[in-house]
Amino acid sequence: MTVSSYVLPTLVFALIVYALVKKVNIYNAFIESAGKALPELLRLIPCLAAMLTALEALKSSGALGAFMGLVSPLAEKLGLAPPLVPLILLRPFSGSSSLALLRDVLTEHGADSPIGRAASVLVGSTETVFYTVTVYFGAVGVTKTRHAVPAALISGAVGAAVGVLLTRVM
Amino acid sequence: MMNWVFGIMILIGLAYFTAAGRGADALTALASGCQGAITLTLSLAGTYMLWTGLFGIAEKAGLTEKLARLMKKPVEFLIPDAGDAAAPITLNLAANFLGLGSAATPFGVEAMRRLHRGGNTASPGMVMFIALNASALELLPASVIAVRTACGSASPYDIVLPTFIASLAASAAAIISCKALSRLFG
Repeated sequence: MTVSSYVLPTLVFALIVYALVKKVNIYNAFIESAGKALPELLRLIPCLAAMLTALEALKSSGALGAFMGLVSPLAEKLGLAPPLVPLILLRPFSGSSSLALLRDVLTEHGADSPIGRAASVLVGSTETVFYTVTVYFGAVGVTKTRHAVPAALISGAVGAAVGVLLTRVM
Repeated sequence: MMNWVFGIMILIGLAYFTAAGRGADALTALASGCQGAITLTLSLAGTYMLWTGLFGIAEKAGLTEKLARLMKKPVEFLIPDAGDAAAPITLNLAANFLGLGSAATPFGVEAMRRLHRGGNTASPGMVMFIALNASALELLPASVIAVRTACGSASPYDIVLPTFIASLAASAAAIISCKALSRLFG
């Protein structure tokens, strides 16, 4: 918050001044590059649609809820509090739903409770893996993503596990 | 991979809808997923254009070239085939680190385009770049801090250090699993 409120305006200011001093036609440069953004965004829409549609199918059908009911007892045996399970499952797919879920967990259990702190670290140290894969590969038309998804999911699992464990000692 | 993820999610969802006797709701749900893609893209579009435009100015001013020369060695340590993608890769990781997710996306897409070696198959550099992006290395997890503050936390910043250490572990895991798995996925 504080970082972006100082650093960003300064950086953009410096960039414009530097480019003007270097006699760059910044107006043309901006228009030319910003124009490239639109075709890129158009190419992203179908990829995002595929992912969000699949997610919606799981969510609204109740399949996701049923799966969580199934997994919760298992997770509890591993020492993972039940409220953390839906967070872990949804986190790779959607940033906004995991933030909404985090809000629910914090409201119900308290932001400074062990569960609340574990949930916060969990969301902070992991990323929307499937969103990243969809957008970045979709933009360049790559469909054979090789080991990107497994590697990213392993990284996320390690981040989540380390994060949850750390909140017990820190 | 995405092929199977997509197929299995849709099939399980449809099976559940039908089994629950809510077949009529199924298509509404699927369409609302597609509608979500339009809404999301539109909400991204402005920031995306802004940063693409500013990147264009930096490029014309020769700044991205300077940054690329400066960051070539460290970037190539992780992504040996980075080439001229070093500048957008640096900007993308820096934007993520500072918590500017929406600025990170256009840099990331530019990096992917420069890492692309043609065809529809991911290059090794692309996979490593994606895995690094997935480890969420961030100075301050601003959105989480905001939610904690809104939920009445007495110490919303309490989670910054464990989050950072966990992200570092995730980055290390990304690098190791990328190298280990690359042989399995020719």
